[in-house]
Amino acid sequence: MASSRRGVGLSAFSNAAINNAYTNHGSTLRAAHVESLQTQLSVFQQLLHQFSITHGKGIRSNPTFRAEFARMCNAIGVDPLASSHTSKEGGKGTGSNMWAQVLGGNVNDFYFEVAVRVVQLCRETRAENGGMIEVAEIRRRIQKGKSIGGGMEVSDDDIGRAVKSLEPLGSGFTVMNLGKKQMIRSIPKELNTDQSTVLEAIQVLGFVTVSMLLDNLNWEQARAMAVMDDLVADSLVWVDLQCDETEYWSPTFIHDSDQR
Amino acid sequence: MPPDPYPSGTDAPSTDFRFIAHYNFPPFFTLQPNPLTRSSQLETWSTHILSYCRHHRIFTLTLIDALSTPLFHNTILKKKLSLNDARTVLNWMASKEGGERIEWIGGKGGKESKCWVFWRRPEEWADAVGSWVEATGQKGVVFTLYELGQGEATRSQEFYGIDRELLHRSLQILVKKGKAQIFGQEDQLGIKFF
Repeated sequence: MASSRRGVGLSAFSNAAINNAYTNHGSTLRAAHVESLQTQLSVFQQLLHQFSITHGKGIRSNPTFRAEFARMCNAIGVDPLASSHTSKEGGKGTGSNMWAQVLGGNVNDFYFEVAVRVVQLCRETRAENGGMIEVAEIRRRIQKGKSIGGGMEVSDDDIGRAVKSLEPLGSGFTVMNLGKKQMIRSIPKELNTDQSTVLEAIQVLGFVTVSMLLDNLNWEQARAMAVMDDLVADSLVWVDLQCDETEYWSPTFIHDSDQR
Repeated sequence: MPPDPYPSGTDAPSTDFRFIAHYNFPPFFTLQPNPLTRSSQLETWSTHILSYCRHHRIFTLTLIDALSTPLFHNTILKKKLSLNDARTVLNWMASKEGGERIEWIGGKGGKESKCWVFWRRPEEWADAVGSWVEATGQKGVVFTLYELGQGEATRSQEFYGIDRELLHRSLQILVKKGKAQIFGQEDQLGIKFF
């Protein structure tokens, strides 16, 4: 009994010692871990930096390469666009500045250039399309490049990233999916469900009529008319009155004849 | 060969005219009810009309006749601009906002039926002729209007084949500036450049 009491005492004592030892060992391990992680991280940063310098040209000029680079950065949680503006991204805080430094201005600059073109094109065509334009259309126009600097080799992916880089400005530029198409919305106005439904339906044939909406969506006349009137008022559709029934067309279908 | 002051770019008359993308968009032929959309539509129509007329070297349009030409009528889509809408477009082009690219000839009170199409404004034609004379060192030389508009020497120039009346009018701008003098009778007008 006594021995067991002593045993309890002892074991309690030695347990504490062991616990202590464990704690010590644990913290040493953790410290070593942190240290090695830090080393890895700084090595990685250096490599990434080097990589972006060595391949800066490639990243700028080759859309496929650029997309891969962006994907790689994404996979490891680096936002190549992150700058001091986007400190909230991934909670990197001051780190975001670091990334911008690490990656150099080149990559950032590229996306900002694209973003500027996107904003220009959206503004130019706003009256025509109500501030909604297909990403692919923007890409075609940027590649044609009538403006300063001529055409740029860009992919839809680049444009998506460029638009994202505008987010901190609160400009209301967003990329949204409409059916199978990716659209850039440059007017910060929410579409209601009915409007989205109609715009999606339009993408199939290029146009809809009120009776098509009645037949396919089981809407009532008044509802369909109201939605169409709204869309016309927002310049999101064009009307064609030279038909048996008024056709409402999406300006995304303004294409060269060979693409129609 | 003097440098062409107004290179005609890709619109060489020998190639087929390339319609703008909107020409294949059915609602383009209905003037849009939304004012914002309509303003962009009017601008596009203006661009379309000017490049069409430039390509086909059309200097005047007779509205009724033009309605059935490819300019206003897309036979593939079976869409056309109505008389009223076409008049609206032309009126807009005639306005300050539209750059005064149209000028009605005679007629008043919405009854005008014929108009000038200024894909180059008379001042621009005057400049073109003036620069050509200067570039070819022909100051002091006397030309007939026919020589300027139809002569061998100007064959490579954009103003070759220009409407006679428009040429006369453009040259008068040079006269006003004191850069030329016009003399002679109706059919045999001559001009001397200083």
